[in-house]
Amino acid sequence: MAMQVKERPVPNGVVLELTGDLTYANREQFKTAVEAIRQKGCRHLILNMSEVRFVDSSGLGLLALVSQNFKLGQGKVSMLKPQSYVREIMSLANIQKLIPVYDNEQDALASQQRAA
Amino acid sequence: MPSTSVEQTAQVARQTVLIVDDEPTARIALAARLKRMGYRVIEAVDGKSGLDALRRERPDLTILDWMMPEIDGPSFCERVRQDPELLTSQILMMTSHDQPEQIAEGLARGADDFLSKAASKYEITARVQSGIRAATLIRRLEDATGEIRRKQEVLERELQSAARYVESLLPAPGIVLPGVQMVHAYRPSLGLGGDLFNIVSWGDGVLGLYLLDASGHGVSPALRSASLSTFLRRGNLLRHVGSTDPGSILTEANKQFPLTEDGNYFTIIFARLDMRTRTLSYATAGHNGAFLQRASGEFRWMTRPNLPLGFDASTVYVTTDLTIAPGDRLYLLSDGLYEVPDASGELWGQDRLEETIRGFGPRPLTEVVAGSIEEAIRWQGHEQFPDDVALMGVEVTAAVV
Repeated sequence: MAMQVKERPVPNGVVLELTGDLTYANREQFKTAVEAIRQKGCRHLILNMSEVRFVDSSGLGLLALVSQNFKLGQGKVSMLKPQSYVREIMSLANIQKLIPVYDNEQDALASQQRAA
Repeated sequence: MPSTSVEQTAQVARQTVLIVDDEPTARIALAARLKRMGYRVIEAVDGKSGLDALRRERPDLTILDWMMPEIDGPSFCERVRQDPELLTSQILMMTSHDQPEQIAEGLARGADDFLSKAASKYEITARVQSGIRAATLIRRLEDATGEIRRKQEVLERELQSAARYVESLLPAPGIVLPGVQMVHAYRPSLGLGGDLFNIVSWGDGVLGLYLLDASGHGVSPALRSASLSTFLRRGNLLRHVGSTDPGSILTEANKQFPLTEDGNYFTIIFARLDMRTRTLSYATAGHNGAFLQRASGEFRWMTRPNLPLGFDASTVYVTTDLTIAPGDRLYLLSDGLYEVPDASGELWGQDRLEETIRGFGPRPLTEVVAGSIEEAIRWQGHEQFPDDVALMGVEVTAAVV
């Protein structure tokens, strides 16, 4: 399934609403969208995963890559509401160690303020 | 001016038109006209010799009479369209009675265009030129396709050669240490795989075993796998890690193999079998395909949630120790073995794999390894795995010192 990305500014960050599959086939689209946000100087990227059905091994790698790139610019990446299947894949690879997972946007935003 | 017109004629003259018509007057008249237009013309007096000429000369355009004895125009077209070598020929069908139904029948049976025998000189010129134009485009397409096919063959030969190299890196099955038997199966999805496994002989009854899976598709994962397996050679590990401890090895490999710029990485399990102390030690990095089947029947998946290699340079991978006894079997595998979908998309899954292996009971390890692959193939309904499949089975035989 193709992926749609929609970007929404929030205080001190950007929420990226993802719809579809985060997979090998959609890697360029995801990378381009995230890179554009990072280049604009965003310090906190919040990936809303609530409409993502599937993440494959390439998708996992991209999440790790995005998290590393934001960290290099003193930024951070958070994840919002992954579906249970995606959550399971993430936890098998321990991704939450790199990208904290939140169940609502307020908590994700609050984490940034604490960090700052 | 005359010189220009001669040049033009010379240019068009390279194009060949075949005229198939049993009626000499019409054929000769048309041939004369086409020659005046600068085309090279071949004449055939009936359908059979027309087909021979078509095969022999491969003309740019064939002008065909409808009414002919034995093979008539439409039958001629049908034969051409059924012949893989001729089917792209451009055919212009001539007829004296151009009823719409007849035209439709002629087109349906394989003609590309129609020309009335009563057509004006201008119409004949225009239709012949249009046919030649189409023929030129088709020929160009055929040339490009042929070129692509030749290049594809070269690439495939190179991939096969690379695949043979990767397979030459795999360990030989058999007794890998006194009291330890190893069997494996390897089914790369594209001929050239990103999954790799091997054994490291530490000496003194100690053996290292690993199975790694490079993310991504195609040539790049295979190159990266070969590179990591070079890192995991005995001499290199002694030099760079200075220890046979699986956790220390993965902690160092994690530093040496960061994410690629495309976000590609490895998952891996590294195990150490120490026959002196009957200990199996292992560490995993994002790899979920490993389990121990004890002689007692206990089944233990050796998974723990942790990061794949390259995700975070500060990760410390931890070693887990298990005691082993004669008859215990260790299996290392890639997720490609159980993540195979059936026709409805349902994955075979770890549970069914476990059930299958339990079902084999104490049957010889070689049968279990081959049988598990067969069962996955049965589930998906075909031989071609969507992802690389590697399975290594290791048994601590009863005859341990």
